[in-house]
Amino acid sequence: MLSFIRKRAIASLISLVGLLVLVFFLSRLTGDPASLFLPVEASEEMKAQFRELHGLNDPIMVQFTRYVGDVLTGDLGQSLRKARPALDVVTEAFTWTLWLASITMSLVAGAAIVVGSLAAFRAGGFFDRLSSILSLIGASVPDFWLAIVAIVIFSVQLAWLPTSGTGTLLHWILPICVLFIRPFGIIVQVVRGSMITALSSAYVKTARAKGIRSGPIIFIHALRNAMLPVITVIGDQAASLLNGAVVIETIFGFPGVGKLMIDSILQRDFNVVLAAILVTALAIFLMNLLIDIAYALLDPRIRH
Amino acid sequence: MRKTIMLAALILGSALSPAYAASGPIKIVLPEEADLLEPCMATRSNIGRVIMQNVSETLTELDVRGDKGLMPRLAEKWEQKPDGSWRFHLRQGVTFSDGTAFDAKDVKYSFDRIMSDKNACESRRYFGGMTVNAQVVDDRTIDFNVDPVQPILPLLLSLVTIVPEGTPLEFVREPVGTGPYKLTNWTPGQQIVLTARDDYWGQKPQVTEATYLFRADPAVRAAMVQTGEADISPSISQLDATNPATDFSYLDSETVYLRIDHNIEPLNDVRVRRALNLAIDREAFIGTLVPDGALLATAIVPPPTLGWNPDVKVFPYDPEGAKKLLEEAKADGVKVETPITIIARTANFPNVTEIMEAIQSQLQEVGFKVDLKFVEVAEHEGYYSKPFKEGRGPLLVAAMHDNSKGDPSFSMFFKYASEGTQSGFSDPKVDDLIRRASAAVGDERAKLWSELIAYLHDEVVADVLLFHMVGFSRVSEKLDFKPTMATNSMLQLSEIGIK
Repeated sequence: MLSFIRKRAIASLISLVGLLVLVFFLSRLTGDPASLFLPVEASEEMKAQFRELHGLNDPIMVQFTRYVGDVLTGDLGQSLRKARPALDVVTEAFTWTLWLASITMSLVAGAAIVVGSLAAFRAGGFFDRLSSILSLIGASVPDFWLAIVAIVIFSVQLAWLPTSGTGTLLHWILPICVLFIRPFGIIVQVVRGSMITALSSAYVKTARAKGIRSGPIIFIHALRNAMLPVITVIGDQAASLLNGAVVIETIFGFPGVGKLMIDSILQRDFNVVLAAILVTALAIFLMNLLIDIAYALLDPRIRH
Repeated sequence: MRKTIMLAALILGSALSPAYAASGPIKIVLPEEADLLEPCMATRSNIGRVIMQNVSETLTELDVRGDKGLMPRLAEKWEQKPDGSWRFHLRQGVTFSDGTAFDAKDVKYSFDRIMSDKNACESRRYFGGMTVNAQVVDDRTIDFNVDPVQPILPLLLSLVTIVPEGTPLEFVREPVGTGPYKLTNWTPGQQIVLTARDDYWGQKPQVTEATYLFRADPAVRAAMVQTGEADISPSISQLDATNPATDFSYLDSETVYLRIDHNIEPLNDVRVRRALNLAIDREAFIGTLVPDGALLATAIVPPPTLGWNPDVKVFPYDPEGAKKLLEEAKADGVKVETPITIIARTANFPNVTEIMEAIQSQLQEVGFKVDLKFVEVAEHEGYYSKPFKEGRGPLLVAAMHDNSKGDPSFSMFFKYASEGTQSGFSDPKVDDLIRRASAAVGDERAKLWSELIAYLHDEVVADVLLFHMVGFSRVSEKLDFKPTMATNSMLQLSEIGIK
């Protein structure tokens, strides 16, 4: 088991390093921060001065070497725009995203597994049809539209919830509900498919023949075997939330890492972009490791 | 007895209360967060809207609500000395929010700080090509020697925010100023809170505390004022501006135009440029693709600007006239069939795609061959500003220009002078008028700017001026506040009344 984890960790680390190298060079290709940061009328002299001040004049390999050295010592540099350490800016935003993503994904996973399993138990029945239609709608509705409609209904018309922002627990409800819909729709479908296969397998028939009740059959015998593909999809969906639910964060004024990343890319705030990528990549790397471990725990064939 | 006193107090209280205007905290929702709260960056709108004249004050202030022109703020009065230098007499009894007293040394320090190469202060750009030497005479008096002599120095000083002596040269995160408010909370990504100071030198404002929130989506901003989560949203979408009690439009100092590159045939021919102007049905855009309330432009600066010329008339929509001019030019050998490219910027302003497509088709109707190309900000900048690319074809660059400063000098130099970064031509008379107008004061200055505006529009036919744009805002009914042309770059809390 330990050697399995070690192997997985090393493989992921290599891709992490590759990603950082790629991002460093690609971000330098997209434009000159001096002409974006300074006003249109800025003279060439001011631009040169600005580049000098921020070390943007050095050859790119020199910048890269300096960057690698800094990363290894935990120094991700200053944000050009915010005049404070890039890592601080990113961890602040990432904490918000982490909370949003973990609450949403816990709710999604719980609800989707129950609904998907029940739908699979009577495949083709009324509940199955209903959940299929609803989950298909959920998986295909654009979230920006859903967010605006939710604000109009629940905040403006009914005045139950605040439109946006942070501050109280009530502020979390709308973003979580809107974020919930799409992964829920997708995961319900995967659970259902996977469960239908599991429920038609020989061991379930044996269990039925032995007279075991439906509840334990679904949630103990079949579910454990049906979980492997489900965990993969949950991991995928969680990763996309960790990357930042950009649209939702923007609409709800939620200070998460997705919004930060977009803003920093537009402002060519390299240090923040790189720090944000490093932090989220690290988080996704850890999460993948957890998923691998979960796999190994569920399926002895993977462990050995 | 006690009852009587209480009753008397009540009556007295109710009788007195109308004399005191209400006061209290408000919330303002803005589209874009301030990434810095650095006083010397206050000329950038997302920063200025929060701190300009609220936290950081300037020596002079331009009146955008009335027609008082340049008003005293931290300077009580100023005069130009015979040698062309300026002397400013400063207000006494002013303190910074950190408790230190304000005097001439702070003014000198603030000025030297923006000129320092240790930072990228934006206000420095307004002093390009000048050598400014600030000299402290005494605590209350400071002289500015400017080379070359700068007649609008007092106006330029409305852009220089005053910080206490000793403020680090690098950008600060906690601005200290002499304004009616001080920064009390800044949670990045969430809110900025300004609280009224008890020891402010001027009149105590009605707004006791202002919380700034940031939402990128205009529908959310409008909803927030509707639900009472915010009191002012200076910019909402035209689509959301449906409630006459809270929503209204205001001239926002942005001007949309097509910059003509006079260097390339056929745009070097004035008849062709005039034909471009006659071919566009500007009226047809108002109330359709461009919001009602927008004005047809005859100058690169909006009407409240010094020297704006009411005698200059918008080009009529005259497709026949345009065709005739093109034929004349063609008969003289001008290659009017050369395809002309309109360069426009994606998402530059609402409906930019539809507006540009309509202009393209109107130009084609009179016989121009027109291509339309949309590009991103950085690429657009490459077309808009010098040095222009060699080997380019005839170009019209669609752009939006903002001048809420009340004086056309910045605009005129950059857009029309031979050395202007975004000028598409070179004309000695224009250069001369800009030089003279920039150096003139008072009525003479206004007269020269008017003359230049008329000359550019009627004789040079410098560009295709289109619209002065309007913005839409939503203000809670409990507030007494009307946005102005300056609201995009500055939102003075002390101008907000509470009903």
